[in-house]
Amino acid sequence: MTAILMNAQGLMKQYGSRTVVKGVSLRVYENEILAIIGPNGAGKSTTLEMVLGLKKPDAGEVSYWEKDFRKAVGVQLQATPFFPGLTAFENLQLFAAFYKKKLSKQAGMELLTLCGLHDVMKTEASRLSGGQQKRLAIAVALVHDPKVVFLDEPTAALDPKSRREIHQLIMELHQRGTSVVFTSHDMDEVTKLSHRVMMIDQGTVIAEGSAIELCESHNVQNLEELYLQLTIGGNEQ
Amino acid sequence: MTTIFKTMLVTSLRDKITMFYSVIFPIVLLIGLGYYFDNAAYSPRLVTGVIALSSLFWGVSGIAFQVHWQRSRGVYKLLKLTPYPTISFIFLMTAARTLLGILINLLVLAAGVLLFDVMVSFGALLGTIGLMFIGILCFTCLGFLISNFANNEGQINMISNLFFMPMIFGTDTFYSLKNAPEWVSTMGNLFPLGYYVHGLRSVLGITSESPAGSILVLVIYTAVLLMLAALTFKWETNGQLRVKTYKKKQRAVV
Repeated sequence: MTAILMNAQGLMKQYGSRTVVKGVSLRVYENEILAIIGPNGAGKSTTLEMVLGLKKPDAGEVSYWEKDFRKAVGVQLQATPFFPGLTAFENLQLFAAFYKKKLSKQAGMELLTLCGLHDVMKTEASRLSGGQQKRLAIAVALVHDPKVVFLDEPTAALDPKSRREIHQLIMELHQRGTSVVFTSHDMDEVTKLSHRVMMIDQGTVIAEGSAIELCESHNVQNLEELYLQLTIGGNEQ
Repeated sequence: MTTIFKTMLVTSLRDKITMFYSVIFPIVLLIGLGYYFDNAAYSPRLVTGVIALSSLFWGVSGIAFQVHWQRSRGVYKLLKLTPYPTISFIFLMTAARTLLGILINLLVLAAGVLLFDVMVSFGALLGTIGLMFIGILCFTCLGFLISNFANNEGQINMISNLFFMPMIFGTDTFYSLKNAPEWVSTMGNLFPLGYYVHGLRSVLGITSESPAGSILVLVIYTAVLLMLAALTFKWETNGQLRVKTYKKKQRAVV
């Protein structure tokens, strides 16, 4: 049986009178790729932030297989938090130090190679292209060799080539035994990469399962069709 | 810890704009004013004034922009996801910037000694370094506080100027206030720069007064500013101003 790495039950979050997350439950299993999808403002990011401990849920609880989960969880946020003036490698070294880890030049090179950044090791992070910065943000998330990685819209606003490189990286991580949780608006990407899909709309989980299962059970051709059918935006159309 | 401290030194050293305002600009100002006035009695006062100005720019503007940049890029948010305590990171960043600030001020002092024959004994040098430490720390805390209230770079400039103007023009950093209206110096006394300048002049033997009073006031300012900066510290930039404007616009459309 596959081990559960993270278990969140009945998460709720309210901002004033508006409830943005209404009892979302979410599990992450060992070595799976889980995609969280939903329209803008559906509650995906708030759910992720509660799961990661950045926001306190008003109700519900989150448990990890390890007490101090931060040591074994990697996160790539939508913003690219690199320090000005520092090269790609220096940024990695700094983030490794936050995990009390000393990153050797060789280990840094290996990580950058994994993320397709071997040729920009000495380039200032702020001078990298959008796709390279996203990949460096993922490299930062991997610097302490985590068991599970959360990627918040890793391919947003990227050209097809950069997107494909990140797809390859996610597959590579899976092959290495890392669980990957990512959010996306690209249904083809979700279908191609994920083992399990969780669709959130208006703060609740409206569908969950593999892309094939979901399409079959709702009698639709593809995930995009299902997305349009189930989400509020789709109903309006 | 060493890696983080070293990296903070590197990132600050590679900040070209702050380095320009904290190193090049003060030294050029010192050379320009020093040769223009060409007065042996004024030179030591000018050197201390320029050191104070350099500390002010380095401490306030440097840290305010750096903290704002880190906050808006999600650095503090990401730090919360690591086992490393954010407060330790802020402490190391402040320590690195204070150390660099002292070195920069010593460069300005060295320029004063070499170009304008300002005399500095070994004891005075040690006292000056101590005072630079308190002064830069005090201005760094003020920079932190400003960054907590500003939502963007423009607001940092505006809020900084609210402090800079009375500090530069309301104190005798560069010129005597003997003939100025009393309210000008009263206004200047509300801010730490004047005490820093007086302290520097005392430890360098330019004036005969004791530096104890200035040091005490600077320590109090530092403690209060540090407390206020800690109380108002925020992990993320909030877009409150923008949200309110958006709501108003929406209402107008409806």
